[in-house]
Amino acid sequence: MERRDYLRAAGATGALGLAGCLGGGGDTETTSTSGTTGTTSGDRTLTVATYQSYVDGEDSPGAWLKEEFEAANDGVTVEWTTPSGGSSSGINEYIQRAKQGAEIDADLYVGLNTGELVRIDEELDDPLFATVTDALSHAGDVKEALTVDPDGRALPYDTGYITPVMDATVLDDVPTTFDDLLDPAYEGDLLAENAQSSDTGEAFLLWSIHEKGPDGYLDYWRDLLDNGVRVLDTWQAAYNAYTKGEAPMVVSYSTAQVYAANNGEDLEKYHLGFLDEQGYANPETAAVFEASDAPDLAASFLDFMLSADAQNVVPQKNYQYPATTTGSLSGNFAKYAQEPADPVTFTYDELAGNVTGWIEDWARLVAQH
Amino acid sequence: MDRGLGATRRTALSRLGGAAERGYALADRIGAHGAFLATLAVLVVVFYYPVGTVLFTAFTESGRVSLAPLWATLTDPFYFGVLAGALADPAGAPAAVRGWIDAGFPAVRTGLFGWTAYLAVLGTGAAVLVGLPGAYVLARYEFPGRETVRSLTVVPFVLPAIMVAVGFTTMFGTSGALNDVLGLVGLHVNVAFSVPLVVAALTFYNAPLVTRFVVAAADTVDARAVETARTLGAPRWRAFRDVVAPQLLPSFLAAVLLVFVFDFMAFPIVLALGGLRLATVEVWIYSLAGDLRLGEAASLAVLETAITLALTYAYLRYERTEGAARAARIERVPLVGPPTAGRLLAAGYALVALVLYVGPLASMVLESLTRGGHLSAANYAFLLAQQLGTGGTQPTVAVRNSLLFAAGAVALAVPMGVSIAAITNRDGRLARVGGALLMAPLAVSGVVTGIGLLQALVFGVDLFGWHLAVTGPVAIVAAHAVGGYPFVVRNVAPLLARANRDLAAAARTLGAGPARAFRDVTLPFVAPGVVAGAAFAFAISVGEFNATIVLARDPGWYTMPVALERYLSNPSVGPYLGPAAAMGTVLLAVTAASFVVVERLGGRWEP
Repeated sequence: MERRDYLRAAGATGALGLAGCLGGGGDTETTSTSGTTGTTSGDRTLTVATYQSYVDGEDSPGAWLKEEFEAANDGVTVEWTTPSGGSSSGINEYIQRAKQGAEIDADLYVGLNTGELVRIDEELDDPLFATVTDALSHAGDVKEALTVDPDGRALPYDTGYITPVMDATVLDDVPTTFDDLLDPAYEGDLLAENAQSSDTGEAFLLWSIHEKGPDGYLDYWRDLLDNGVRVLDTWQAAYNAYTKGEAPMVVSYSTAQVYAANNGEDLEKYHLGFLDEQGYANPETAAVFEASDAPDLAASFLDFMLSADAQNVVPQKNYQYPATTTGSLSGNFAKYAQEPADPVTFTYDELAGNVTGWIEDWARLVAQH
Repeated sequence: MDRGLGATRRTALSRLGGAAERGYALADRIGAHGAFLATLAVLVVVFYYPVGTVLFTAFTESGRVSLAPLWATLTDPFYFGVLAGALADPAGAPAAVRGWIDAGFPAVRTGLFGWTAYLAVLGTGAAVLVGLPGAYVLARYEFPGRETVRSLTVVPFVLPAIMVAVGFTTMFGTSGALNDVLGLVGLHVNVAFSVPLVVAALTFYNAPLVTRFVVAAADTVDARAVETARTLGAPRWRAFRDVVAPQLLPSFLAAVLLVFVFDFMAFPIVLALGGLRLATVEVWIYSLAGDLRLGEAASLAVLETAITLALTYAYLRYERTEGAARAARIERVPLVGPPTAGRLLAAGYALVALVLYVGPLASMVLESLTRGGHLSAANYAFLLAQQLGTGGTQPTVAVRNSLLFAAGAVALAVPMGVSIAAITNRDGRLARVGGALLMAPLAVSGVVTGIGLLQALVFGVDLFGWHLAVTGPVAIVAAHAVGGYPFVVRNVAPLLARANRDLAAAARTLGAGPARAFRDVTLPFVAPGVVAGAAFAFAISVGEFNATIVLARDPGWYTMPVALERYLSNPSVGPYLGPAAAMGTVLLAVTAASFVVVERLGGRWEP
C-alpha cells in the first residue's frame, strides 16, 4: 500500500531476459483484448518493471495481468521485474542506469506517481519514456481529473484517495476541515507520515499545499506541529500506532473500511474524515521505456491495463480505484470504499520545479520543531 | 626451519594426519599476510570500490574536484547549528557569543549533527547501564540455562525496526501492557513518540553488544592473578579494580564504541517510534538519496564517517592492554543463594530484562496471533497459504536462504576478522590508521553502501573490454561478511593483545609452524572472542536487508527479513501487521535456535 516506502522496495528482481524478438517459429496473428491488432513473429518476452507488492502472490494484480495478457497474445511471455534502487523508489534504479549509460532491461514501468515523473525529467536530459497516448485506444477513457502527464507518456491505471481516518468511537466530534485540525481539542490526535519516504505522507503534504497555497502551507504546518501532529516514517508505523490507540486520527486511504469490514471490525473506528469534502488523489501511472526493444508490444500491454476488462478487476486487487470511466468496483469494495466528493491532485506542470523544494522546506521545518 | 621435523613426522602419522600437516604447511606458506591480502581483495570489490565511488561525489562539483559541497554542508545551520555560523563567519563569532551571553544563555541550536550525537550519547549511556549488569550476572553467576541466555543475547540484533516498533508500542504504549500493570497501582506513563521510548528501543538493540563483549573478555581473565591479589590481602573490589577491570576495559570500550556508532547512524527505529521531529543524519541521507541528490547525501555520509572513524582511531589507542594469558578460569558462584548485593543486582536486572526484552518480544508474538483485535490464527494461515501457493513468498525458502547466507557469511567473516586482528595487532600510528579504516564497513552510512553496491556491482563496470557485474548469492554472502567481520575483529583483537606470545614462540621452537602454533596456542586463548564475533556476524547476516535486496537479482533469493517486508506491503493483507509479525516470530525462533546451536558447537571448541 505504501508506494514509496523503502520497506516495500523488498524486491529481488525478476527476469533479466531481454525483451524482443528471440526468433523461433509459430507465427500467429492475434487480436489482443484491448482491440489493437498486432502481428507476432515468434515468441516474444515483455519485461515489465514494477514494485514488489504489485506482483506478490497468485492473487496479485501482476499475476492476473500476466495470465490474461499472455492468453490474449500467443507467443508472448510477460516477465515481471522488481528493481530496487537502494532507496525509496524503484524508478531510481532506472534513472541511475540512464545516467551511467547502463542497460535498461525493461520495456515498461508500472507504478509511477506524478512527483516521480517530475523528478525523472529533472534528473535526465534525454527522455526515459516514450510518448504513447496517441497509439492507445483506451487513453481517452482515463478520468479527466487523473490525467497527469502533459506529454502523453505516463498513463494512470489506478488511483488511491488519501484522507485522514478517524476513530469515531473516541472522538465526539470529528474534524471536517483543515482548520479544524488546529483546534486544541485535537491536540496530539493526528498521525501523519514522512513526505520524504511515504506516499500517504507526500499526498497529505501536497493536499495541504493545495489548500493553503505554497506561501501558506509552512505556517499551517507550524500550527499543526504546535498542536502535536506526529510525523512517523511509514504508513505501517503510523497505522500500527493508530490501531494500538496511540492517537485517534491517521493519514491513510479511503479504503480503510473495506479491510475493517472484511475482518468484522467496528466500522465506526474507521471513519473516513474527508477534509473540506476533499481527498487527495494519488494516481499510479505506467509508461513505456524509450529504450524498449518492443515498444508496440509494451504499448499494447499498457492499453490492456486501461481496458474495461482489466479496470474492473486489477485496481481492486491492488486495493485502489479504477482510473478509467469504464472501470467499476464489486463486493465489499463497492460497498465500503468511498471516493471524496471533490478529489484534488496536483498536475505535472504544477509540481514541476516545485515539489522537491516544497518537501525539503517542510521536512526541515518538522525536524527543527 | 620446521620443514625437516615435519618430514620425519609425516612418515609416522596416518594419511589423515599427513593431510593435516600438508594443510598446516600450506597455511604456513600463505601465512597471515596472505589471508590478510585475500581479505583486502574481498573488501575492495564489495566495499571500498563501490562505496568510494559514491563518497567521491562529495568531493566533486560539475565534474571537477572541489571541497565546495562539503563546505556547503558544514556551513548549513540546519546540519551544524551555531557551529555552521562560526565556520561561515569566524570573525563574527565573538560578537555572536557576546550576544548569546547578553540574551541570558538561550538554548543553542546544534543542528542535525548535534542532535544525532546527543541521541547517540543517550543511547550509549543507556546501553551501558543495561548491558554491564547483564555482563556481571552472566560472568559471575552459575545457573541453569546460563549458556542459553548468553547465546540469546544477540537475538534482538536481527529484528527489523518495524517489528520492534510494534513490540514497543504494544508494550509501552498508552494502552500497552506496562500501563495495564502500572494501572493496578494507579500509575500511568505516557512515553509515546518521546525521546525516552526511542532511547529504550536503541537500548533494546545495543545493550546486548555491551553484555556479549564484556562476557567474552571476562571468560579469559586469569583467575590466578585475582587469587594472588586476594592472598596479598586485597579486598574483592580492589582485586576487581586492579586485576580484572583493566583486562575487561578494552573489550568494554570496543562495545561502547560500536554502540555509539550504531546509535549515531540509527535510522528506521527512530522514525518508526519517534517520528520526523527526532530525525537523525542518516534519515537525511536516506531522503536525499531518494531524491537522487547523491552529492549532498555523500557529503553528509563523509562527515558521518569522519566522526565515527575518528572515534575508532581514538579507541584503538586503548585496545592494546597487555595482560597475562589465562591459565585458570574464574569460578562462577551459584546464582541462587543467600542475598548479597550482587544477587540483588541480578534480581533487578532480571526485572529490567523482563520489561525491556521479554515484553516487546512477547508483544510481537501476540500480534501474530491477533487479527482485527481478536485472537486468530489468520496470520499463520496466511503464511501457510504463501507456503503452499505459487508465485508467493514461501517462509521455508526464506528460512533456508537466510541460514545459507548466514553460514556463508560467518565462514567468510571469521577468517577475515581474525586475519585483520592478527595483522593490525601492533603498536604504531600506521597500524591504528589501518585498523580504523578497516572498521569502515560499520562507519559508512548503510544507505550510501546500498547505492554503491547498485551502481558498481549491479550495473557493473567495463574493464579491458569485459563487462563485469557481481550479483547473486555469492555477492550477498560477501556483502554480509563485510558487514560482520568488524565484530570478529573487535572481539578478537583485545584478547589477541593479551595472548601470551612467549607460549606461541615456545611452540615454534618445538617445531610447530606458525599456522599450527596459531591454532594450538593462540586460537584457544582468543576462542571466546571468535565465538562472540561469529555470533554477531551471524546476526548481522540474518538481519541484513538493504544489500540483500540490491544484490539479489533473482526473485527467489529472498531472506526472512525480505519476506517479512513483502508480507507487510502485500495489498491483500491490508493494514494488518499480523502476517509480518508471524514471519517475525518465525525469524525470532529460527535465529534463537541457531544461536544456541552455533554457540554449543563453538563452546565445544572453546577450551
